[in-house]
Amino acid sequence: MSEQMNKPPLLRIEDLRTYFYSRVKRAFVRSVDGVDLEVMHGETLGIVGESGSGKSVTMLSAMGLVTTTPGVITGKVTFHDESPKDLLEGLDANVKLERREGRIMRVAKDNQLWQKQADRNLKGVRGGKISMIFQNPRAALNPFETVGKQIAEAVRLHTNIKGAAEAKEKAMYWLEQVRIDSPRMRYGNHPYGLSGGMSQRAMIAMALAAEPKMLIADEPTTGLDATIQARIVDLLDDLKARLGMTMVLISHDIGVISRLSDRIAVMYGGRVMETGPAAEVLDEHAEGHPYTRALLSSTPRPENVLASGHLPAIEGEVLDTINVPPGCRFKARCQRINDTVRPHCESQEPELFELGSDRRIRCWLYAPK
Amino acid sequence: MPEPKQEVPILEAPLLEVRDLRKHFATRRGLLSALSREAGSQVIPAIDGVSFDLHENETLGLVGESGCGKTTTGKAILKLHNVTSGTIRYRGADITSQTQAQFRPLRRDIQMIFQDLDAALNPKVRIQDILNEAVRIGEPGADKEAVQRRIYELLDLVNLKKNKLANFPSELSGGEKRRIGIARVLAVRPKLIVADEPTSALDVSIQAQVINLMRDLQAQFGLSYLFISHDLQLVELMSHRVAVMYLGQIVEMGPAKEVAKHPKHPYTSILWASIVEKRSKEIEDGGAAPAWGVFDFERPRGGCRFAPRCPVYAARGKPAICTDSASAPTLQPTGEGRVVACHFPL
Repeated sequence: MSEQMNKPPLLRIEDLRTYFYSRVKRAFVRSVDGVDLEVMHGETLGIVGESGSGKSVTMLSAMGLVTTTPGVITGKVTFHDESPKDLLEGLDANVKLERREGRIMRVAKDNQLWQKQADRNLKGVRGGKISMIFQNPRAALNPFETVGKQIAEAVRLHTNIKGAAEAKEKAMYWLEQVRIDSPRMRYGNHPYGLSGGMSQRAMIAMALAAEPKMLIADEPTTGLDATIQARIVDLLDDLKARLGMTMVLISHDIGVISRLSDRIAVMYGGRVMETGPAAEVLDEHAEGHPYTRALLSSTPRPENVLASGHLPAIEGEVLDTINVPPGCRFKARCQRINDTVRPHCESQEPELFELGSDRRIRCWLYAPK
Repeated sequence: MPEPKQEVPILEAPLLEVRDLRKHFATRRGLLSALSREAGSQVIPAIDGVSFDLHENETLGLVGESGCGKTTTGKAILKLHNVTSGTIRYRGADITSQTQAQFRPLRRDIQMIFQDLDAALNPKVRIQDILNEAVRIGEPGADKEAVQRRIYELLDLVNLKKNKLANFPSELSGGEKRRIGIARVLAVRPKLIVADEPTSALDVSIQAQVINLMRDLQAQFGLSYLFISHDLQLVELMSHRVAVMYLGQIVEMGPAKEVAKHPKHPYTSILWASIVEKRSKEIEDGGAAPAWGVFDFERPRGGCRFAPRCPVYAARGKPAICTDSASAPTLQPTGEGRVVACHFPL
C-alpha cells in the first residue's frame, strides 16, 4: 500500500479546458473550464454532476474523443504508466485563435492535423491501456458482427494473444467474467439478440478484453431498469475487487457513485467544486460544499421530505456555461451564502481550498482565515 | 401543504374505476409472415387484466420495469389507445365504449403530462401561442384580455416569468419546458392528470422543484394524479397508494409507505431491494445482499408470470400451483387496504 501511495497518479488532468464554439450564439460554451483531477493506482474515482456540468466532456477530451468542430482543448493530461505521457501534446499547434479585446472571436482549426496528432498521442493508450464503456451499449457494439467476434478482436488487438482460436477462448473467458449466462451460446449472438443489461455486460467484457490499466465508465447504468442497474453495479464492484482495476466512474446518480467510488469529484458548470473520500463528501451531516449538500438533500427520497411535504429544492437553473458570471459559479443558487463571504463570492471565483489532508472545496466558506 | 395521508377515506365513489383492462398489440415479423397472418402474427399483451380505483385528490403511483405496461395503461385512460377489453369509468360513465366525439368534453377533465419534454411542445410555436391555444380551449368564448390574464395566471402558478412567452421551446431549459407542459395542462382545469415520468428527463436539482410544484397544485386544485415512474423512491414519496406492475398485470397494490417498507409480493421486494443506494447501506451494515431470481424473458405460458424469476418459487422447490395455468394468482386482500397476487406472499 505504501508503495502505491508513493507512485505518481495514473492519470493527472491539469487545467483542462474544452470550449465549443456556438455559431448561433457567436460565443463559446465553456463545457470544461479549468479542471484538475488525479486518479491514483487502484482507486475508483467517481465524477458526479448534473447534465452539462462537464463530467463526460472532461474524460472524452482526455481520451481525444471530442471531435466536434470548432472547439478548443487546452491543458495537460498526463498518463503515467511506465513513463509519463502527455495525451494533449502538440494539439495547440493546430488551432489558431483570433482575439479581439481579449475575447476569443474566432477559431481556425486544422481538423485533420488535430485528429492525427491526437491519434498519435493516444496510440496504444486509448482502448488498450485505458478502456471506456458508455451509456448506450447498443451504439457502442457493431450491429453486423457477433458479440464474441468483437471481443476476440479486442483481445487480438490489445494483448499478446494473436491466434484466432486462443482469442476465442479468451473472449469466452471474459464473457464468463462478466457473468453472462451460457457464454458459449452468447458468443455467436449479434447485439440485437441481447437485452439491454446483457449488451452492457458484453461491452464491459469488450473493454476488459484489452486488459486495461484503467477503465472509464460513463453512465454505465443509466437507462437500465432498476433491477438490472443493481446487477451491473454489483458486477462492476465485483470486477473492481477481483481485477484490482483503476476506474473512473461518471454518473449523475449519487447512489451508483456512492456504492462504487473511493474518492469523489463533484462538478458544476465545468469546474470541480469538491473532491475527497467518498464517505466524507457524501455524508450529509459533515462539512462540505453547499452545492453537494443541496444536491444530496434535494434528491427525491422519502427521508428527504420536509415537514411541509416539500423537498428542499435547489432554486434557479443550472449554470449557463456561455455567460459565466464573475465570482463563484454556484452563488446564484447558494443557500449558505452570507454577508461575511458575499463580497468574495460576487467578485472572485474561489480556488479549491484544502480541508484536511485529502479534501478540497471550492467555496469561500472554507477559505483559510 | 400537508404530506400525502396514508389512509384515503373511501366514502365517495372513485373518480376513476379501471376494471380488467386489456390491451393486446399484434406484431408481425417480416413480409412473408405479414402475408400469412396466422403463422407470423404474435400478440403482445401489454396490459392484461388491470384493475384499480383512483379517488379525488389522490395520487396513485404506477411502478414497474420498462415494458410492464405502465405507459400503455396511462394512455388507455386518455383514450389514446383503443383497448382490447375491459372498462374505464370516469365519474361512473364508461369511457371505453364512447366514441372520440362523445369523449371530447371529458378530455378537459383528464389530461396527460408526457415523458418527452421536447416532443410534447411544438418547436416552431412560441410559448405565448402554445398557451393561448390551450387557454382558448379551456375558456371558450373568453375575450382577448381574459385569455391573456389567464396565461399570466398560469405562468404564475408554475413559477415562470412573463418574459418567457416570446421564446420558442428550444430556448427554454428542461425544467422550464416541463413547467410549460404543466401550465398547458392546467389551462383546461383538469381533474385527473396522468403524469408519465414527469421528472425523468430533468436534472437532479430541477426534479425537486417540479415535484414540489406538482404537490402544491394538487393541494390547490384537488387534482388526482396517476403517477407513472420507474423511480421507486420518487413514487414512494409522491403517492398515497402504489400499484406495482409486472408484465402487464398489477401484482401488488396498497398504501405507498407500507408497500415500500413491507412488500408482500416477491417482485415488489426485489424491486425495492434493487435501489442501489439502499443496497450499499445494507452491505455496509453487514446484511446479506438480496437473493436474485433468474432472468427469463420468455413469458411463461400459464400460472404466475413472475415464477421464472421468483426467489420464493425456487426456494419452495418449484411448487406446481405457481405454474399451473388454471390457478394464476389473483389480487387478494391482505388487510390495511392492500392486495397482492401471489400464492406465497411474504
